[in-house]
This record gives sequence, C-alpha cells and structure tokens, in this order.
Amino acid sequence: MPNEKTYYSLEAGGNLICHKCGIRLVKGNAVFEYLENAFPVELPVCPQCGFVYVPEELAMGRVLSVEKVLEDK
Amino acid sequence: MTDHFKERSTRDYHQKQLFAKEELEKRESLCTHEDPPFCNAACPLKLDVKAMLAAVSEGDFAKGRSLLEYITPFPEILAYGCEGPCRRTCRRSEIEESVNIPAIERAVMRHSDVPKARGLLKMRKKQKLAVFGSELFTVAVAADMANKKYPVTLYTEAENEMDLFRRCADLDDEILERQLPLLKKAELKICFGTPLDREFLEKEEAEYDLVCGASYLKEEEVDPVTLCDSRNRIFPHAEKRYSHILQSLFDARRAAVSFERIVQRLDPHNNRPQEGETESHLFTNLNYIPSEDAVAENGLYSREEAIREAKRCIQCECVECFRGCAYLRAFKRYPRLLTREIYNNTGIIMGDHMMNKAMNSCSLCGQCTVTCPNGYDMAEICRAARENMVDTQKMSLAVHEFALLDMLFSNTEGYLAGKQPGYETCRYVYFPGCQANAIAPDTVFKTYEDLMQRQPGGVALMLGCCSVIARWAGRRELYQEQIAFLKEEMHKLGDPIIIAGCPTCRSTLQEHFPEVIGLWDVLKEIGLPEGSGKLQQEVMIHDACGARNDPDTQNSIREIVSRLGAEIKEGNWSKEKSACCGYGGLVSYVNKEVASEMAEECVREDPQATYITYCMACRDRLKRQGSNAVHFSELVYGTAADDAPGLSQKRRNRKMLKEKLLKEVWKEEIMQEKPEFTYELSEEVRQKMEDRMILESDLLETLQAYRDNQMAVYNETDDTLTTRHRIGNVSFWVRFREENDHYTVISVYSHRMTVRTR
Repeated sequence: MPNEKTYYSLEAGGNLICHKCGIRLVKGNAVFEYLENAFPVELPVCPQCGFVYVPEELAMGRVLSVEKVLEDK
Repeated sequence: MTDHFKERSTRDYHQKQLFAKEELEKRESLCTHEDPPFCNAACPLKLDVKAMLAAVSEGDFAKGRSLLEYITPFPEILAYGCEGPCRRTCRRSEIEESVNIPAIERAVMRHSDVPKARGLLKMRKKQKLAVFGSELFTVAVAADMANKKYPVTLYTEAENEMDLFRRCADLDDEILERQLPLLKKAELKICFGTPLDREFLEKEEAEYDLVCGASYLKEEEVDPVTLCDSRNRIFPHAEKRYSHILQSLFDARRAAVSFERIVQRLDPHNNRPQEGETESHLFTNLNYIPSEDAVAENGLYSREEAIREAKRCIQCECVECFRGCAYLRAFKRYPRLLTREIYNNTGIIMGDHMMNKAMNSCSLCGQCTVTCPNGYDMAEICRAARENMVDTQKMSLAVHEFALLDMLFSNTEGYLAGKQPGYETCRYVYFPGCQANAIAPDTVFKTYEDLMQRQPGGVALMLGCCSVIARWAGRRELYQEQIAFLKEEMHKLGDPIIIAGCPTCRSTLQEHFPEVIGLWDVLKEIGLPEGSGKLQQEVMIHDACGARNDPDTQNSIREIVSRLGAEIKEGNWSKEKSACCGYGGLVSYVNKEVASEMAEECVREDPQATYITYCMACRDRLKRQGSNAVHFSELVYGTAADDAPGLSQKRRNRKMLKEKLLKEVWKEEIMQEKPEFTYELSEEVRQKMEDRMILESDLLETLQAYRDNQMAVYNETDDTLTTRHRIGNVSFWVRFREENDHYTVISVYSHRMTVRTR
C-alpha cells in the first residue's frame, strides 16, 4: 500500500510504558485483521514483548466503523 | 456447539435464492400501497388527480395546470365537458359529497397562465401527419402530435380558428377563445376552408406518412383499441363509452400511442399502457377522515375556493402497516419495496449488503399481518432472509452473537432442572423463560413455591431458554440443537406438561412438545394465592406479540387482572394489534434506536397509564422507556417491581436464582467461589459497559488474565494501566488503577478485530 495511514500518533517522548517489560512503547508496525481482511497500521508497540496498544478512541471510533463496513460486505 | 461461533469471512461465493420469482411477486402483490388512487384509476386519460389536488391545495396552480396539459392539449375543454368518472369513485363520496374535481380543473385553468417556458427540448420528427376533419378528436390529435414535434397539417372545413373550435365543442365562445393560444402553441399547419370528403382524403394522403380522419371520412370500422383501419389510418371507433368531449380526448390520446407504434414500425397493439378505466386495490382507511363540507361552485371557484375544495381530498394512500410499526416508519419503506430490497440484499454475492440492518431490525412480531388489509407478512420475509444469509455464510456473527451467547448462558451456567422434592414423577414442569429469570428472579421463586404448593400432581422446574433467540437470529442448526437439548432434559423429567411463564416460550415450545399451557391458564384455574396484590386503579394491558393470535391467553390475562381488582381500559392497539416492545426479533441488540421507538409506540396512547404485561421482556422494555409497566405475576405475588436491570445484572440474577432454588428447594449447598480481588465501577463506567454490551464477567476475566500475565501498558500522564484480553471473538480492554488486590476501573472498551505486530 503506498501511503500507510497513521491512526494514532505517539506524544513526543512517549508516555506509555510496557508494564511487563518496563520499556517505553515505540511507534511500530502492526496489523488489524478481521473477516479475512488485513490493515497495516502504526501503533504503539512494546519493542520487547510486542504488546500492541489500541487506544479507546481508536477502538470505539475508526476500528468500530471499519468492522461494521466489513460485516456488511 | 463452538463451531457456531467461529467467525468466518462473509465474502463467500455462496448464493441461495430467497424465494422463487413467482413467490416473490405473489408476496409483493399483497401490498397495494403503490396502486393508483381510485380517481386516477377511473380517469381514462389517467390524470394524476391526487397530485393535482395536492398542488392546488398548496396554491400551486401552475403545477396543477402542467399536470392537466400533460394528459390533453385542451384541458379547459376537458374541464367543462368531462362528466368526471373520478368523482364517482372518489372515496370521500362514501362519507359525503365527493371532491368536485372538474370544478377545480376549471379554476386551475382560469387562475393560471399559459406557461412561457417551452419545456423539454424535443427532437423534431420526420414523419409527416395529415389530419382531416373539424371535430374535437381530429383537432386534439393534430395538436397532440404537433406538441410531440411531428410536422402536422390539419385540413378543415372551418373558416378560422374560432369556427374550428365551435365545431369541436358546444361551449361558450369565451371558453373557446381561451383555447386559441394553446392551438398556436402547438405550431401546426392548418388549411382552413377545405371541403372534405373521402376522395379528397385519398388524393392527399399519398403525400403523408401518417393519416388521421374524422368519423364521417372512414371507409371501414376501425380496431376498438388502436383505432387503426386495415391501412393503419386512424379514425374514431363507433363505440362510445364516455361523453363526447371526454371520449374525443381519450381517443386522441389512444391515436397518439398508435402513431408512435407505427413510427417505431411496431404493431400498434404492441406495448400499450393500460388504457381507459382500470381497477385499483388501494386501501383507504376512512376512519381517520374528518368530515368537510363541499365548497359550492357559483359560476367558477375563486383561487381560495379551489384551494379549500382541493384540501378536501383525502390524498388516498394505504398506510395501515405504518400506523403501528416503528420499524417500517424508521426505514421509510412500504412492505412491497422493503421486500424487494431485502430480496435483492440476499442475492448480493460481492459488495455491500445495504439492507442487512433493515432485515435485522424487524421485531418479527407479526403486527403488520394483522393491520394490513391483505395480511402482508413482513416478519416471515425478514426471518427467511436472515436464515438465507446465515445459510450462505453472509450473516456476520457480530450482529447476534451477544444474544446467542446469552441464550447459551441460560442453557448452561444459568440452567437448572429438577423435580419437585418428594415427587418421583411430576405431572407439570414450570418453565418461566430466560427473561423472567433475568429480570424478576424473586417473582419466579415465589411463583414456583406457589405452584409446588397448590398445583396438584407435582411441579418440576426448568430454568432455561426456549431457543427462540436462535430462531430469531436465523440460526436453524443452533435452534435445532437447543430444542434437542430441551427435549432430552424434558424426557429426564418424565415429559411433564409444560407450564410456560412467557407467551413466546409457550408458542415456541408448543411446536415441539405435546402439551404446553400458560402460567395464566393455571392461575385462572386454581385461583389467585392468598394475599395477592390488590389494584384499585385503571390499567391498560400491553399484549405480548407471542400471544398475538391467541385470544384465549389475552382473555385469561384480562380475567386475572380483573380479579386483582383493576379496571381495564382497552386501547386501540391492544390484543392482536399490539405493537412489539422492541425485544422481539432481537431488535434491541441490533438497532437500539428502532427498539426504543418500538417501546415508545407501545405506550403512545397513554404514556402515563399503568401497563400490565404478561411477557417479562415487555415489562423490561417498557420500564426502560420510563413508563409504568408491571408484569401480572409481580402483582399476583406481590413482588415489588425493580427498575430494568442491566445486562450484567440480568446474568447475575439468573445465577442467583439458580443458587437460591438449589439451596432452598433442593437443599444443595453451593460452594461460592470467592474472587481473589475486589474492584469498583463508577456509574459512568457501568453505563458505558451497558452501551457497549460488555459484561462484568468479561471485565473480571480480563482483570484475572492481567493478574496472571501482567500484560498491560502504563500511562505516565494519568497513572493508569490498560490491559487486554481476548474472549471468543472479542478483545476486551480495561483501563484501571491498581492498589494491592483492589482495582478501580476507569474505562472498558472492546473490538472484534485482532491486532498483532508485523
């Protein structure tokens, strides 16, 4: 895909820390999958354990609306 | 069982026809909403009377005029000479004098001007037409064809235009004069003072492609439909059905159609619209029409008088199903159109299924079948469409998963079956229904205690779901599995007679079990228990859709409510016409807005009244809508009605009821599992969970998972932790603060997508 969309931007310096690894989350490549569709996105990811953080606004906004569209395909 | 909840892609190349074409058409034909109004059907010229009267009633005389000019080149002659078949069929004539349509037409023509604009640009045609004769028919054909941009030559004996019109119609000169601009507008060539006979016609016609003549010039009788003779020349037919003016203008219209076909090199019989008087099956409910005195026409209506008379038009349309159904109103479609769109929706292999929400928002309550004069069954169509979409794997699991899991909860964790202590075999089994267990556990407990005491023969108990939820969701296989489970369980109890606490359970179970009666039947028989609530007030009864075609149940409830001392006020929408509360068909899970409107609809007649229900889901939905609703069994057993419980509370209630019954009836000790931690939820969080359909059990499981794996994200800014846990097809996220073994939950959210790094 030519220009990947960024659905979430990390604050400068980053304020999210992986609780398990004690490492700051970084902007990382993640992929959402649903009903055999995949969407590459950039999200805060723990560089060690790979935990991907999906913030509430994203989950209840964009993610929800895309789910609904795919469900009616 | 778990296979039912495996999320699949809906992009499968499966397709199954919902109905055969003939069946679809048969079903659609029951909806007469699109049938023409009776005035329009009676008019041989097919004037859109309803639209004309609507325009006039709003003072738009120009639009009224354009509708009249659309059907004939000389509307004013028509308005003065038409006997008005439309008046004969006007539905208002069944109450009082019909709307004076011809008088309004006269006023429209007088109070509006000849339009200056030329209208749509039409292509000039090549075929030349010769018209011979000085009667209304020939002049109208000439003007009509000239308006269609055919080069027309009219041969007439008349000396001038006025003379021509005088030969056409026996009307005052003043009226005829006003037709002159219309003739000019038509741009046709007129050869005045031509002596006409058959010889002249024979001579001249060689020059032309199309020929039309007056009746006295015809050599042979013409076809009654196309008005063509054997050489495709057009003359009026001898048979007359209407007065001279109407018949002439009607014939002119038919002649124009024939000419068009001849020009297209088709048989003039081909592809003709319905001509003349037609039949309409439109239903107009006259019960809602207030009486309105006719406006007398003294010479001619003034503008105001015409408007007043036009306002008397009922604007006939069939809206019977719309009146009581919030669903149809929300989707703004009449059953015929809705059926076609849902049918097409099931046929889409690739692409957006735009009508998924529509077919899943019907409560399947069957009200339309009762209110429709032809018994249209929208519920069956929506249900069949859901099954079709499930069969072809096009129905997303997300739509109904919550409700289906709730059904499974009722038949597993919340399930309980047992014989009455002291009885080897029980004659009966009480089946309160999943909603009663979830909403009013205390009432269910008391009811069972009473039945054990007073109903002879022993009464077993079964807490579970009747499986209707799977049927509503269109999941046939799951439905059959659940029914098989219930059958097996009933067999273990000795196949007793089922006492259903809910009318929907009753009608569902009746299909699979030999004898199913209602709790109301039993209470009517054994009488009310001592100390049952006294109601010294007027109440209304909200009838359940599960008992729509069951007058016995409706009457039994009324008798019980009367015995409770209440005075019943019957509404216009009670018994078989009752609206659905919004629980039926799982609407409340799929379309909260429509479900809410449905509940609103149930109490619209009197929002302040006390509504007695006999389905616990109705009581819950109406109560949630803020009305004063109470289940009859709550009154019988004097159990105070709580407010509508939330989704998590409903599950807790079912578990609590089960534990209480096990402990107090069957003396079984329940080992309560103590959670390792405590948590607190603010009202705001609870509401959020309710809106997002997230259960407290999901929250607990997520917190427990966090305690096990410590996976979370710490936010420095607000000092919170956010953890994630996937249960089934849903990822749950909980944001919280942790203090030893206590959790303060700040927010909960979820999504169905999976997420991973790449």
